[in-house]
Amino acid sequence: MTRRVRLIQAASVGVLLLLWEAVARAGWVDPLFVPAPSAVAGAFARVGGPALGGLGDTLAKTAVAYVLSVVLGVGGGVLLGSLPRVRAAVNPLVVALYGMPKILVLPWIVLLLGFGTTPAIVYGTIHGLFPILVLVTGAVRDVDRQLVTVARAFGARRWQLYRTVVLPAIVPTVLAGMRLGIVFCLLGVLIVEMFAGVRGMGHVMSSLANGFQAPELFAATALVSVASIVIVLSLDAVNDRLSHWRGDAR
Amino acid sequence: MTVVVLRVLVVVAVLAGWEIAGRLANPLLYVPPSAAVPALRDLLALRSYPDFPEHLLLTLREIAVAYGLAIAAGVGCGAALGLNRLVGRAYGPILAALYAVPAVVWYPSLMLFFGLDAASKIAFGFLLGFFPITLAVLAGIRQVNPQLITVARAFGASRLTVFRKVMLPAMLFTLVGGLRTGLALAVIGVIVGEVLGSKAGLGSLINHAYGLFRTADYVALVLVTLALIVACDALASALERRAQRWTHVQ
Repeated sequence: MTRRVRLIQAASVGVLLLLWEAVARAGWVDPLFVPAPSAVAGAFARVGGPALGGLGDTLAKTAVAYVLSVVLGVGGGVLLGSLPRVRAAVNPLVVALYGMPKILVLPWIVLLLGFGTTPAIVYGTIHGLFPILVLVTGAVRDVDRQLVTVARAFGARRWQLYRTVVLPAIVPTVLAGMRLGIVFCLLGVLIVEMFAGVRGMGHVMSSLANGFQAPELFAATALVSVASIVIVLSLDAVNDRLSHWRGDAR
Repeated sequence: MTVVVLRVLVVVAVLAGWEIAGRLANPLLYVPPSAAVPALRDLLALRSYPDFPEHLLLTLREIAVAYGLAIAAGVGCGAALGLNRLVGRAYGPILAALYAVPAVVWYPSLMLFFGLDAASKIAFGFLLGFFPITLAVLAGIRQVNPQLITVARAFGASRLTVFRKVMLPAMLFTLVGGLRTGLALAVIGVIVGEVLGSKAGLGSLINHAYGLFRTADYVALVLVTLALIVACDALASALERRAQRWTHVQ
C-alpha cells in the first residue's frame, strides 16, 4: 500500500508537471502569466541569490516574532489561566482580538511603525501570539484539579506546584500552539513585506509580480513554500519525539 | 453578575485609555473613539466616500462567488479523498503539506495571473476557504461508522439513502464547522487581497484612507468591515445551530 501510494504521488506530480509543460509549450496559456516548469527551473538560477537573501531576511524576522509570540503567549496564558477573575474579565476581549482579521490593523501598524523590520516583527507577533495565548489559557484552566489538590495537600509551594504539576500538564498544548504559531508568524511577516516592505521575501515576490517576471515569481513562491513546509514538518517531528518521550500512546 | 460588571469595566477602561491616548498623541496616528463616531456617521451618510455602497457591494459579491466556489470544490475534493481510500492516502498528505504554507505566498502569483480586478480577490478568497472545507468533508467522512453503512446497505438502502440517512447526519457536525471556518477565511481572503492591491472594494477604500492619512475615515471603514465580518460569522453560526438541531431530530 505505502509503495503504491508513493508511486501514485510521484506519478501525479510528474504528470502534472509534464502536462503543464506541454500546455505552456503549445501556447495555450500566455507564458507571460503561466511560465512552463522548465522556464521556472531556469529562473531559479537567476533569482536564486536575491530570493535566498530575502528568504533569510524573512526567516530572521519570523524567528524574532516567533520567540516573542511563544514567550508572551505562554506567559500570558499561564497568567490568565491561573487567575480566574482576571480571566473572566479579559478573556472575551482576547478571544475577540484572536478572531479579528489582523489585516484591518495592518495599515495602522505601518503608519505607526513605518516601513521595514519593526512592523514586520510586531505584525508577525500579533499573528502568532493569540492562538498560543488562547490555547495555553485553556490548558492551564483545565489542569486536573485533583493533581493540584494532592500537590497542595503534600505541602507544595506555589512555584513547586507550577514546576511539577502545571507546566508538565500544559506541554502538549504549548507544543500544539507552537506548531500553529509558526505558520501565523510567517504569514504576518510576509504580509507586511508585501504591503510595506523594503526587504524580505514578501517584498521580492511582490516586486517580481509587479515586474511581470512570472518565472522568477514562481521560483520564489516555490522556495518559500518549500521552506515553510520543511519548518512545519520538522516541528511535527520534534513534537512526535517529545510525545514519545512523555510516553503518550499515539 | 460580577463577571459582567468586570467585563464592562474592562471595555470601558480600554475605550477610556484609547480616548486619552488619542487626544494626547498625534491625531494623524491615533483616532480617539470620540473622533471615530463622527467619521463613521460621515461614512454611512455617504459624505466621506459617496461611492461607498458600490465598494461594499463589490466586496460582498466577491465573497459570495469565492465562498460558492470554495464549497463546490471543497465538497468535491473532500468527497473524492474520503470515499476512495487510495486517493485519500495519496493526495491527503500533499493537501496537508500545502495547507502548512502561509496562503499569502500564493497571492502575488494570483495577482499576476488574474490582474488587479475582482478575479484575483475571488481566487484568493476561494483558496483560503477551500482548505478548511475540504479537510472538514474528509474528516467527516472518516468519522462515519462503516458498520452503519454496511448494515444500511444490507437492509437494501440505496446509495442515496445511505448518504442521506447515515452519512450526512454522522458527518454534519464536522461539515458545518468546516463550512463556517471556510466562510470566515473566504471573507478574510477577499479583504486581504483588496488591501494588498486593488482598485475597488472595501479593502481599496481602507488603503485609500490610509494612504491619504485620513485616519478617522480609516477607523470608520475598519469598523464597518468588522461589522460585515461579524455578520457573516453570525449567519454561519445560526446555520450551524440549525444543522445541529436537524442532526438531533434525525
